[in-house]
Parts: sequence; C-alpha cells; structure tokens
Amino acid sequence: MKMTPAAVIIGSLLLLAAIVLVVVYVPWATRHDAPSEIFRSRSDLEAEGRLIYIANGCVYCHSQSIRTIDWGHGAERIAQAGDYVSDQPILLGSQRTGPDLSQEGGEHPDDWHIAHFINPRYTRPNSIMPEVAFLGEDKLQALTAYIQSLGMTDADQRMQRQIYWKKAATDAYEAGPDENVKWLSENIPQGWRDLPNPYPTTDAGLARGHLIYQQFCIGCHGPVGDGMGPAQPWLYPPPLNFTILKNREISGGILYYQIMNGITGTAMPYFKRELESEKIWDVGNYVAVYFIDDSDANAEPHGIDAAYEPGDVNR
Amino acid sequence: MTTGESTQIRTYPTALAFCITSFFWMGVATFMGLLGATFLIAPDLANNVSWLFFGRVRPVHVNMVLFGFVTPGLLATAFYYLPKVLDTELYSEKLGVTTVLLWNVVLVAAVGSLLAGHSQGREYAELVWPVDIGIVIVFLMVFVNMIMTVKHRREPILYVSVWYACAAVVLTSVTFSLGNVIWKPDTGALTGIPDAILLWFYGHNIFGLLLTPLSAGVAYYVIPRVVKSPLYSHTLSLLGFWSLIVIYTHIGTHHLLQVPVPTWLKVISIVDSVAMVIPVMAFLINIWYTAKGKLGAIHEDIGAKFVFTGTIMYFFVSIQGSMMALPVVQRITHFNNWVVAHAHIGVLGFAGMIALGGMYYILPRVSGKPLYSRLLADLQYWMVLIGMIGFTVVLTIVGLIQGNAWYNGETVYRVLPELQYYYVTRAMLGLLIFSSAVIGLYNGVRTLLSKPGEAVS
Repeated sequence: MKMTPAAVIIGSLLLLAAIVLVVVYVPWATRHDAPSEIFRSRSDLEAEGRLIYIANGCVYCHSQSIRTIDWGHGAERIAQAGDYVSDQPILLGSQRTGPDLSQEGGEHPDDWHIAHFINPRYTRPNSIMPEVAFLGEDKLQALTAYIQSLGMTDADQRMQRQIYWKKAATDAYEAGPDENVKWLSENIPQGWRDLPNPYPTTDAGLARGHLIYQQFCIGCHGPVGDGMGPAQPWLYPPPLNFTILKNREISGGILYYQIMNGITGTAMPYFKRELESEKIWDVGNYVAVYFIDDSDANAEPHGIDAAYEPGDVNR
Repeated sequence: MTTGESTQIRTYPTALAFCITSFFWMGVATFMGLLGATFLIAPDLANNVSWLFFGRVRPVHVNMVLFGFVTPGLLATAFYYLPKVLDTELYSEKLGVTTVLLWNVVLVAAVGSLLAGHSQGREYAELVWPVDIGIVIVFLMVFVNMIMTVKHRREPILYVSVWYACAAVVLTSVTFSLGNVIWKPDTGALTGIPDAILLWFYGHNIFGLLLTPLSAGVAYYVIPRVVKSPLYSHTLSLLGFWSLIVIYTHIGTHHLLQVPVPTWLKVISIVDSVAMVIPVMAFLINIWYTAKGKLGAIHEDIGAKFVFTGTIMYFFVSIQGSMMALPVVQRITHFNNWVVAHAHIGVLGFAGMIALGGMYYILPRVSGKPLYSRLLADLQYWMVLIGMIGFTVVLTIVGLIQGNAWYNGETVYRVLPELQYYYVTRAMLGLLIFSSAVIGLYNGVRTLLSKPGEAVS
C-alpha cells in the first residue's frame, strides 16, 4: 500500500467519520428520552447548586451512577437511563474517592450538609474531602439544595420525612431534657427498649467502641460525649449530650436502635450500612460506660451467653 | 530510514520551543499532581483557599499533563523529525514558533480558568469554550505546518512517523471539537446518556488518537536512528497504523460497562478493547525487532533509553487495558484507584517516557549544544521509572482494597482508613516524580545556556 498524504489524511478522516457514525451518532439517534419513574426537573436553586458542583469538580470523587453490583453500598435502586434525561452534562463520575451521590437527597437534613461542607470531618471524622466553606453561605445553600435533589422524587419523599420529623425533634428538644429523652425513647419499639446490651463490658469491647466512636460519632457528640463536637454550632436540634442520660432508663437496646436506625429529622444518621452488629453494641456500651456512667451490659434478661463471654459456663 | 538526510547544520526553533514548553509544564503538571495527592492525606491543608480546592487542582494536573507536558514534548520531536525524514525544511518556523507561543497562552488560560472555578465538569473536556477554541486553533496551526512541510518534501516516500504525526494532529482536531461539543459553548455537553458515550469516545481518543500515534511516531524515528538499522517491517507499520485508527476509536464505551448504555455498544467496546492487541503488538514487534540485538546502543543513548522503556510500558498498559475491559474484571477495578494506576502507566510510563526520550534525543541536535548532564538525565530516568512503577504498585493495591471491600459489602467511608498509608506513599512517589521534572527542566535550561559548541548533527 502506498501511503500518500491523501491516503493518510483523507483515509483516516473517512475512517473516523464512519466510526463516529456508528459509536456516537447511532447511540444518540436511537436514545430513549423517556424519563424514569423518579424523574422530576430541578428548581432554579437546585440548578444553580449543580453549576457549583460542576465548577468545583465534585464529580472527580463522587459518582452518580448506582450499578447492579452496588448492593454492598446499600443501594436500593439501580440507575436507569431515564434518570439522566435532563443532565447536561451528565455527571456519572469515574471514581469513588467519596461515596456515590445518586440517591443522597434526603439522607440527611440540610443542617447536616452545611456542617459537612464547613468541614467534612465535623460530621464524618474519617473523611478526606476538602473544606468547602470558602463558597460562602449562599452558594452552600444552593449546593445543599442540589444534593438534596439527588434521587429526584425518591429524594423528595425522604426530604418530606426529614422535615416532618425535624419539627417533632425540635419541639421535643425545646421542651427540655426530660421531654426530649422521653420523646426519643417513646419512638423506639418496646422490644428494643426492654433489651439490655447482651454482651458484657470488657476492655476489648470498650477499645473497639472507642475506635468506632472516634471514627463516626466524635464530630457531633464531642470527645467527652457532651454533644459539643465541632459540628454542634451548625446543627439544630443540637447533638445529644449523653451525660444527661443517667438514671433515665436508657437501655443498651435503645442505644443500639438509635445508632442503627438514626433519628430522622435530626443530624443523627443511621449507621446500619456502615457498622456491623457487634460494632453497634460496642460503641453503644462505650457511650453507656464512659458518658452516661450507667451500663446494663450483660444484665438480665439475656439468653445463652455467646461462647466467648466470661463468667458462668451454664449461663 | 530510506531518506538521504542532509548533513548541513540546521536550526529548529519550533522543536526547541516545544521542548522548553514541555519541560516547563511537566514541572507545573507534576506539582499539581503532588498537590492533589497531598490533599488526599491532609485535606485541611488547602485551608479554604478556593483555587487550591482539590476538585480544581485535579483537572489542572490532568490537562497540563496532556496538553502541557506530553503533547508538546512529542510534537517537539515531530517538528524535528518531519523535515529530516521528508528531506526538506519545515514549512514555516515562524508559524511554528507562533504556534508554540499561542499554545502557552492557551495553557495559561486553561490553568487560570480551571483554578478560578470555570469548568464544564466533563473529564478531559473541562475547559471552557474560549480555551477549547484556542486548543483547536493551535492544533490546526500545527497541522498546517505539518501538511505544508509534507507538500514541499523532496523525499517522495512518507515514513511511518509522518503518517502518525499528521493523523494524530488532524484526527485530534476533530475528536477534540466533537468531544467538547464545541457547538454548545455554554455547557459543552450533550444531554443524558449520549453525553457519557460521546465524552468517553473523546476521552479515550485523547490517548488513542493523540498520545499513542505521536508516541509511536517518535519511537519509529528514534529507535531505528539510534540502533542504525532499517525498520523491521513496512507491513507491520501499515497494520499498526490502520488498525490503531480503526480499533482504538471503538473502545471508549468500556468506561460505561456498568451504566445503562446500549448493550451492542458495550459489546463493540469490549471486543475492540481485546482486539487492541493487534495495533499494539504490530507496533511493538516492529520496534522491538528493529532493536533486536542492539540494546547496547539504546542503553548508551539517553533519549532511546527513555523511548524504549516507554515501549515496554506500552506493552504493559495495553495488555492491562484489554483485560480491564472485561466486565468480570471491572466488577472490582471500576470506580477506584486501579484505573488511576493504569492511567499513570499509560500517560507517564508510555507517552511521557517517550516524550522525554524524544526531547533528550533532539535537544543537543536542535540546540547545537551537548546535553548539560547525562548523569542528571539518567537520574531523571530512574526517578520517573521508580516513581511511575511505585505509583502503579501502590494504586493498584489501593484499587484492589477498594474494589474488593465494596464488592464485599463495605461502604466507601469504612474503607477510607485502610487507604491512608498507601495515599501517603503515593504522595511521596509524587514528590519523586515532581523532583524529576525539576531536574529535567534544570538540565534542559543548563543545556541551552551553555556556551555554544559543536552541533551533534
């Protein structure tokens, strides 16, 4: 084959044209524009927040693409083409240095996000995300609105739940510690309220609880459990002060349930996707022993002890 | 080489200007990479300085590596070898030098706009419309200079390096304009899933139709020159060239295998990703058989040493790339640092190494002065090599930790503490690579500032 300038230039351009036709134009021409069942359009504020998200390169660390294999992340819904029909550009992302955000809307109330943007380690002590406070209050509001819209109508439903329970949680907090603790416990199924921590207090268990507390809890509840962590000024109702809980019948089951399930409407997220059962019991007991000074670990009623537990062999 | 090259001493201001550009921007680009790597282990270090925000620093790193360091470095050598193998003068050194000046203006505009928070948010296509236009213009200026040089050639036969250089520049002008959706200045994007398909078609072709053919062009020139042998096979050159254009352009969708794009498109991208072994091995066999038995000559020439190492990295990155396109592999490797490791073997290990090699090969020839220090060049070689391989090992481990942990049901947040030490190591290796860029810049500048000597030509 004789490689003339025309062969090189025109030949390669013709090949490129044919290939663009097949792998770019045909997918575009045969695209499905039908919105998915959760689709809704964005408000002006959400659209403004999206531009801030784009300008600051959030997409490099956060995907918006839930895959069929993402059950490990607690995915409830796999992304569909119809989710993206108004996205220009589409922000699928290529890396998950941080978590996927496709369904982030309504997972937390707005104040959690503001505290997180001021410094991500306030709400997520292990986070390696940079501070975003430089954006200023207005842009943080817009960015928060955008994040809260991710998941579209699914997110809206979650947001409504956050708003509904935020009012209840705020009323309870403002009614004083007695009412607040009563309200918090009331909303837990009786079975959990009657349940003591089934495992004994051990040095190893407290060490595990201490580590989990530092990685997940310290930003809001503070190093001494008084609810004065660095996130506190940004959150309302503020993080719970554990030291007021003594003699208020806080069982291990109550602590477990609140950590597992979170308190929707407040900045307290659910941790069931991130902490296995043992870690929740351990961190609950850590709080009970060190901050409440009132632990029911291994108290009655309990079933047959787990094999590792110290004490009577016939318990 | 079939050309009868003129022995007269020429000057190559365009090649020289591209060399200086590349050495300088390698420093900027690797510093930005180091900065980003540091922020991953010390996230509060940026201290709310907006233009130091990770999401702004990272695209500066990527764009400056692509358009500041590697592409100008490869073009420097192209502007040296084109007149040589075509047995003519460059069509216009004036146009060439103007191109380089404008190129640098565009790069400054790119850095400034990204750091100021003007981004279109599409990977490899972040730059805002005026900067996009600037890039298309400089590519077209390069193309005019190349094709006019080809037109005025005295050597009738086009050497394979010429095919690669001309095709790379003209095809990238097209894919860059398409990929940046240049007809939509405000967003620079299509809507929905087709935007992702177009983006990765373009994104992958930055490697496939720009860095790879330019690197191949340099390797096809430098290796036969240094080992003083004719090229092993014209047929393999042809096969490698045409199969590269046909196959590489089909594979962009392998970035979207876990996304709702048409299945037939995924199948095409997977099949062609595996078929990439054809252009890759056609090129490598051609180069390696040309150098067969003459590795001593390659070891002796610092430029060829870089280039030959680049070809070895090309082998690794391409075979790895073919494997990574398999869905079963992507279940673990997608969305994590495995891919970052892969990108660093490709862009630094292959294209970056060859860009440096080409520049070290031509620097004495275009400046008419001997290289200031072979020792420093060797030092840079080893620092880049160790840094790049270290990067690959560390980030591959990180990727495996992330991918397996996620697949095993752990959340992203839970895995973060496990990665800390690897991120620290990665930043240290980044320091090594940045330092090597400073050494290269120093060596280049000292070469140019040294007293005029005999030309090596």
